[in-house]
Amino acid sequence: MTRTRTPGISRRSTLALMGAGAMSVATPWVARAQAKTIKIGMPTILSGRVAQLGTSSRNAVMLEVDKVNAAGGLAGRPIEMVIRDSKGQPQEAARVARELVNTDGCEWLIDGEASSGSFAVHEVARDLGVLCVHTNSEASSLTADPKQHIPNAFRCVRQGIHDSIVGGSYAAAIAKAKGLKKWATCSPDYAYGRDTTGEFTLYLKRFAPDIEIISESWPKLFQPDYTEVVTKILQAKPQALYSCLWGGDLTSYIDQANIYAMFGQMEVFAVNMADYTALTVVKNLPKGIHSGNRYIKTYPATPENAAWGDAYKAKYNEYPTNWSWQNATAVMFLAEAAKKANSTDGKKIAEALAGLTIKCPFGADGTVTMRGDDHTLVGYAIGWGTTIPQEPYVPEVKAGDWKTIFELEAEWKKSKGYT
Amino acid sequence: MTELEAGRARTLLPVRGGAMLLRYRDVMIALIAFAVLASLPLFTGSKALLDFVIRCSAYGLFATSLNLLVGYTGLTSFGHGMFFGLGAYSFGLIMQKLSVPIPVAFVATLAITAVIAAGIGAICVRLKEIYFAFVTLAFQMLIHSTILSWASFTGGDQGLRGGIPRPAFFGVDLANHVHLYIASCALLVLGLLAMRQIAQSPFGYTLRMIRDNAARASFLGIDVWRAKLTVFVLAALFASMGGMVMALFVSGAYPEFAYWTISGEGIFINMLGGVSTFLGPMVGTVLLLLLNDTVTRFTEYHGIVLGVVILFFALGLRKGLLDFVADWFSHRRDAGEGR
Repeated sequence: MTRTRTPGISRRSTLALMGAGAMSVATPWVARAQAKTIKIGMPTILSGRVAQLGTSSRNAVMLEVDKVNAAGGLAGRPIEMVIRDSKGQPQEAARVARELVNTDGCEWLIDGEASSGSFAVHEVARDLGVLCVHTNSEASSLTADPKQHIPNAFRCVRQGIHDSIVGGSYAAAIAKAKGLKKWATCSPDYAYGRDTTGEFTLYLKRFAPDIEIISESWPKLFQPDYTEVVTKILQAKPQALYSCLWGGDLTSYIDQANIYAMFGQMEVFAVNMADYTALTVVKNLPKGIHSGNRYIKTYPATPENAAWGDAYKAKYNEYPTNWSWQNATAVMFLAEAAKKANSTDGKKIAEALAGLTIKCPFGADGTVTMRGDDHTLVGYAIGWGTTIPQEPYVPEVKAGDWKTIFELEAEWKKSKGYT
Repeated sequence: MTELEAGRARTLLPVRGGAMLLRYRDVMIALIAFAVLASLPLFTGSKALLDFVIRCSAYGLFATSLNLLVGYTGLTSFGHGMFFGLGAYSFGLIMQKLSVPIPVAFVATLAITAVIAAGIGAICVRLKEIYFAFVTLAFQMLIHSTILSWASFTGGDQGLRGGIPRPAFFGVDLANHVHLYIASCALLVLGLLAMRQIAQSPFGYTLRMIRDNAARASFLGIDVWRAKLTVFVLAALFASMGGMVMALFVSGAYPEFAYWTISGEGIFINMLGGVSTFLGPMVGTVLLLLLNDTVTRFTEYHGIVLGVVILFFALGLRKGLLDFVADWFSHRRDAGEGR
């Protein structure tokens, strides 16, 4: 066989082309001088299946930022948000976060990523030492695990473990009152679904030890057809069902289970039901589904919360989501910390944030706290109630007890080897 | 390249300056390319530019290795991303759990990839065309599902958390951004050079023959199955290298690295850059990342923009960019010589 060379483009030309390409890449990346405005970068999910939640995060942030700017900004510097889509891919989230800091000159980050993306942005914060507030990742390990801890990162989000403790004790009380001993579970088959369900049943059994789980179903995330799951549960004949399906999965599940009249046959506990993205989409919302509060403007039942929900609706013509209040709270925290530190220096803000308590419409007692030792949000309104088919959807919510949450959370941390 | 073109190539390019120079031309170009890339930090302080080149290294190695299969052997793999993910996860897990020096983890990852690729390849390369494509896709989904469900080991859908430790070795500290950049460039250039050697070796020409006419190759006494398996494993190794660069860049590994969308991006890159020139996928990588990075800065409707671009390449140019440029050059030369 003869060895031959291709007669096409020479390597020299190719390299020249690549060089020209590199130059054109470099031009827009000339670092800009620091302005008087403070830029805050925010990677979040603006395309794909959960785009609605990412958009609601952006809306909430802008709602609060406008207020802060109208009041004179952060320590005299107006905020400029730079919000970009990460497509929900961790490598894109990491890239976008780095670009926001290194190229766009953002001094802080609000990390609007969920799940794996938040861990990717966390590594960027660790690497660059930039102040970072996670606003959408509910994975408890993000702040509970001491290996994850860095002084410049905070989490302003509800947490899986808190939800499970409150849900477990609420469900156990109802189980005792109504004699519900046989339980089934139905949750999406990925880390969030498995962990949350495991923790919920752990606390359910702790508060009501004679409960038995007789059937477990693990539909795939984003599964379109739940017939198989519904019939499996109906055949097992449980007295109660727990589910942490969310968003579109939960609404299609309910629509399909309605055909089999499932909701008349058992008590249903769906932690993610009381969120407008699910409540307003279900065709026939059954009465009496037990749900945790994600976000509803009637809980906490304060004029501040109702006003905030209405202001959001007035501006964006839709109700806020669970992600919305978390992001709004993050901006409130940053504004208060800047006031306290009278500075926009990331380090000083981080010091001010640790242990900071602020007034907030979403607090259980009108305030929320950024706990000092693990940099995570506590004291937010958390409770369970039952649904009705029209507004206000969940008329009465039984509040969770933060004292119990703290005790059991400390125990849980110990059992995980985190403390 | 057809035999006719090959014959013309010999007449067009008489050996100037001796065989030695020709033999080492690729090496010289690689050295110069590395020198240019490595000296970039001297001229610019832009971390974003360095980040861009690091990501180009990761995707470039991956896409070029895919071209060894698609362009040179005619094996359109839809599951090549599994080796990208495998590289990232093996490397990350070895560094996190065993705390060995980085070069050891690097070699161990390549060894693991080779073993797994040999196993998967032995099954896949017996098949042709669409069957090959779908079985590779099936294996990719198998690996992706394993990563998701084996949460105690891989971290499940939240990925490898806590960062990948990077102890310094031989004075190289990969926690330092510039060191990581230079190491990525070195891996890219070495990887491309090695793949170039594979493509230009007699083995590389065997692959082309298999692509053009496997039956003829078989009649000439070539063990087609073994040649296909060899290139499948080799391509997997370079994809795995790309995965390792990505794992170092994001300091973690995530299930998305082993998802089919990564394989899709690889195919997309090859379509953009072109599959009939060696550097086509590299050009495609730069194009795609450049497009992605600029478009996502301005709009969240990047899907529409990328779709229009791929339509332009598929319907307008009907080939990758470098293929188009190469054709244009050879047409111009032909016209100039009055042929």
